[in-house]
Amino acid sequence: MTNTIQILSIEKTGKESSLQKEHNNKSIKIIDGYFFSTNLDDQKFTKISKLISNDVSQTILTKKNVNKVLSSYSNFNWVVEIKFLPGVTDNIATTVKEIIKDNLKSSFKSFELGSTKIILIKGRKEDITKISKNEANPLIQTIKIYPFKKYLNNFKKNQFKIEKVKLPKKKYSKKEINLNISDHQLSLIGKLGIEENDKSRRGTLGLDLESLKAIRNYFSTIKRKPTDVEIETLAQTWSEHCKHKIFSAKIDDIHEGIFKKYIKGATEKIIQLRKDNFCVSLFTDNAGGIEFNKDWIICHKVETHNTPSALDPFGGAITGIVGVNRDCLGFGKGAKPIANTYSYYLADPNKKYQLYRQKNKDPMLPANFIAKGIISGVRVGGNCSGIPTPQGNVYFDDRFAGKPLVFCGTVGIIPKKIKGKLSHKKKANPGDIILMAGGRVGKDGIHGATFSSEELDPNSPVSAVQIGDPITQKKMSDVIIRELRDENLYSSITDNGAGGLSSSIGEMAKESGGFIVNLEKVPLKYNGLYPWEIWVSESQERMTLAVPPANVKKVIKRFNARGVEATIIGKFIKKEKAIVKYNKTEILNLDMEFLHEGYPKLNLKTSFPKIKKEKKKIIKNSSLIDKLHKLLSSPNIVSKEFIATQYDHEVQATSIIKPLQGEGRVFGNATAIKPLFDDEKSIALSQAAYPQYAETNPYDMAGCSIDTAYKNLIVSGANSKKIAILDNFCWCSSDEPDRLYQLKEAAKACYDYAVAYQTPFISGKDSMFNDFKGFDKTGKSVKISIPPTLLISSIGVVDKISHLTKMTPDDGDILLVLGNTRNELQDSVYFKIIGYEKSKNPVVNSKDALRTYRNFEKANKLRIINSAIGIDLGGIGIAVIKMAIASKKGLTIDLKLKNKISVDQFLFSETQSRILVSMKKNKLVNFKKIFKGSDYTIIGKCTGSDVVEFKDNKKIMRGKISDFAKSYKQSIKGL
Amino acid sequence: MNVLVLSGYGINCENETLHAFEVVGFKGKIVHINDLIQNPKQLNNYQVFAIPGGFSYGDDTGSGNAMAKKIMTNLYDQLINFSLKDKLIIGICNGCQILINLGLVPSLNKKDPEVALIENKSGSYECRWVDVKVSNNKSPWLENISTLNLPVAHQEGQFMIPINLLKTIKANNLIGLQYINHHKKLAKGQFPFNPNGSKDDIAALTNQNGNVLAMMPHPERAFYHYHIPNWQSKTLKKFGDGYKIFMNAKKFFT
Repeated sequence: MTNTIQILSIEKTGKESSLQKEHNNKSIKIIDGYFFSTNLDDQKFTKISKLISNDVSQTILTKKNVNKVLSSYSNFNWVVEIKFLPGVTDNIATTVKEIIKDNLKSSFKSFELGSTKIILIKGRKEDITKISKNEANPLIQTIKIYPFKKYLNNFKKNQFKIEKVKLPKKKYSKKEINLNISDHQLSLIGKLGIEENDKSRRGTLGLDLESLKAIRNYFSTIKRKPTDVEIETLAQTWSEHCKHKIFSAKIDDIHEGIFKKYIKGATEKIIQLRKDNFCVSLFTDNAGGIEFNKDWIICHKVETHNTPSALDPFGGAITGIVGVNRDCLGFGKGAKPIANTYSYYLADPNKKYQLYRQKNKDPMLPANFIAKGIISGVRVGGNCSGIPTPQGNVYFDDRFAGKPLVFCGTVGIIPKKIKGKLSHKKKANPGDIILMAGGRVGKDGIHGATFSSEELDPNSPVSAVQIGDPITQKKMSDVIIRELRDENLYSSITDNGAGGLSSSIGEMAKESGGFIVNLEKVPLKYNGLYPWEIWVSESQERMTLAVPPANVKKVIKRFNARGVEATIIGKFIKKEKAIVKYNKTEILNLDMEFLHEGYPKLNLKTSFPKIKKEKKKIIKNSSLIDKLHKLLSSPNIVSKEFIATQYDHEVQATSIIKPLQGEGRVFGNATAIKPLFDDEKSIALSQAAYPQYAETNPYDMAGCSIDTAYKNLIVSGANSKKIAILDNFCWCSSDEPDRLYQLKEAAKACYDYAVAYQTPFISGKDSMFNDFKGFDKTGKSVKISIPPTLLISSIGVVDKISHLTKMTPDDGDILLVLGNTRNELQDSVYFKIIGYEKSKNPVVNSKDALRTYRNFEKANKLRIINSAIGIDLGGIGIAVIKMAIASKKGLTIDLKLKNKISVDQFLFSETQSRILVSMKKNKLVNFKKIFKGSDYTIIGKCTGSDVVEFKDNKKIMRGKISDFAKSYKQSIKGL
Repeated sequence: MNVLVLSGYGINCENETLHAFEVVGFKGKIVHINDLIQNPKQLNNYQVFAIPGGFSYGDDTGSGNAMAKKIMTNLYDQLINFSLKDKLIIGICNGCQILINLGLVPSLNKKDPEVALIENKSGSYECRWVDVKVSNNKSPWLENISTLNLPVAHQEGQFMIPINLLKTIKANNLIGLQYINHHKKLAKGQFPFNPNGSKDDIAALTNQNGNVLAMMPHPERAFYHYHIPNWQSKTLKKFGDGYKIFMNAKKFFT
């Protein structure tokens, strides 16, 4: 009899090698453990072990062999046992349960099991403690360290224990909340949550006093007390995350708010000017949709998952990516996800920031743990879902030490018409059944929506952490996209994200009028959840569908046949009422109008901030070649190849411009996919953000982001008339007037540049409080705010494969810089790494930029351009070196400079709207015709040698391409 | 000529795999594993059985293991019969891992899996293009092919083969593909030419008849010329190297 199955690899695994290397210890072995809630007899033990192990590569440990087998590796003396905390998603355990159920059929009754990672070492206790800190996160895992002898003893005596969710057996009785209390008491409800009978608090609701007063007024008009479920629901629905109150607030003299005036306003203006069918579905749905070709629509959405990723980087990031996948599944009648995008803004993984959420306790995870966890979370989420992840970037700055920014995006595709009906239109009809499909509901992510709107502080609840399960979602997604959608079996669909059912059903019911939900019908992961928890839980991998009663049986059958659960939990009604029942007791009954619009509108004021310019630095005298090496190996320029190769960008066989470009594999600014087998049209993707420019001038910062995201697509070969953009504002301290001023300025730039470029915003999201309030290692209180960050994602249609460009010049090509170069080194990479030159921040002149872009597009279509690369971080200097590395071909650059600009200013200025191109000499005549009146400079030629040379009047400076490549491909310290 | 392309539980390359077969002239269908278990007789309608790439069961308990166990419990005899006829089976990437876990390849003792695919030596997922050469192998899948440029994308692609078995495999010419370097010589385990540290640079194995091919690289992702990295700098044919594998399947039946 035993209650554990433990398996180890006979040969050293890749993971073991990397652990051994990292900790400089050759005696490290990892065991995959499975702990059962019940004892297995010998027969079951043998059967199950065989099912979950591999005879050839693994050994199964038994009471008899454990000592002998393990001692053949080393004299281990310490063990760390890492398991998930009760209730945390354990995907491996789910699979093992399924394997057992599938293959042993009825011979095994109900049981629980947990997966466990057991690491053995020969070393000191400090060593194992260090390993455990790098391998486990105490927020989601239990970590037990004990001597090897005890491990053997546990083995013999069946003392491995699984962690089960133990919730008090409680009977639910309807809870009414008295709001006729003092303002102070009222604020406590908002800040700490509803008080339980034992005086404990449920966790923050994120409701301010004004909102709570609005709720009190509503209930005094309808002459009753609110229930706990009603308050929880209002907190979710009115959260900053769901309602974007800051973006819709009156701000200074802008009555309609910055979203309406600047973001939506820009798009409306553009639609009015364009008069075409490019924009299909904007702002209203889960993602924004544009026309791809005459039969298909593509949609794009980018989300952030910052706070969860700070607490559990892997879980936060995987949930971020599979979550935004569902936004595509929930676009119109359901779009198929065809590409993922990512952008991470992280602290330096090589630094120890030592921050604490509470004085001397509750430490922030180390920066490298956060970075690694985020990168692998998106890897597992994307790869396991079979969605390519071609496009992304990473940016490092100390100011992300308190909160990393994790942007996850997805592109989807859907036929314009399904069974003759427009696919982007959906409407839940009165009488339609509310069907919940996918995963079950647990305590995961409770208070996620309300909490991501709050600053990260000691009261941040831990149950806000969730871990995605991409396989459950993939199974569900396959049924929806392949089977149900094209038969038009449901009338509407949306995803369960922030706020869970309360949000998804609440939003969808706007289409029909209202809803009635019976919460006791919702399938649970474990018993003991309160109704309000079921209602707001953010358990992942669930979609909500509105299904006409006649189709319900069929739909459920289809889901079940593919191993997916689907449950009827209520119905949509015509009456504009939100009604929730639990075992027939009505626990929520609100007017839809109040639910969605009853929150008090904010009235914000801004004030001009003090501009915090970085202090003057001394330039160390070094050669141009040295400077190039320094910039190339700096974290924000160095190649991100190690991410590109671990993210599957080839799946679906659509990758056409890959993340690594040229023989020399340079990490590109834009990538392209060709989503349909029978149309050569492609989709180009890019993104840009300039947090480093934000404090100097937020208006120009936003202008630069839009310009770069747009430029990258133009350079890749996209049709300028078919480019759309998405805005993701990640701000800090958005209750402070100077931060709001920066926000207003950035939003204003969004309007100006989007309208100038005629690129509509099609979707967006904001996250307004990315601040860390806590303590440093000395116990001093600190606040770390991220620099205001506006990520602009761009998506464009490339009409023909032949329009797609490359960044590799050929021998004899001449090199030109399109666009004017100004002395704009302020806040540049050069400024940060090398030093200070008196300079300005980059400012985008949209007229000049557009002239360059239009001409480039024309020249590219006429095949005048042979290769091209957008100039951004590190300026012309870095763009030139990237071209040389990518093509493995030498270049000669002539530095005869005009306009009193210095060599460094010319080479490293980050002036926007410039493109480095190469072309055959004989194309120059035609090029000049097109570019007449437009700024360009011939700067050199492609020699095909193995060096890059920079010549000025006096001397030649030379560097080998292979040396540059070495600097560019250096690994990032700490990762 | 009909091909059945398997799907379900996290397999995810079925569309592009079916497309590749269709372009060369097959008629095909994507069939969910549960539907096949319900009605295994439908296998009689097909000449090719393809297990595409993906992440069946999220690679939990080892890549391909859980799906292999599901097939073993429910469809094993039917698949063995299929492999014993003049029919073709291909497993690509996760499909390769499934075939290896089923023991359908190299299938020397007909009972248990003899070979394992373990985690890449690098310890990380590798999505990159590699060159492979066809070893001295008589598989219809690989006929008249010398080298191929194809992408791999996997976390567990390292063939682990006991020494004695490796000898038998070599003696029987069951090595299908091997990773080679830029000079067209065997990669000798050198990264990134051999992306996973596979023994003897093995990228694919076959059974003794050669009609069952288990390959880690993805031919369906190297099907058209524009799939090839930096295709703009190359002289173009319409198809990439992956096309050859599918064409061979067609030739086998015509």
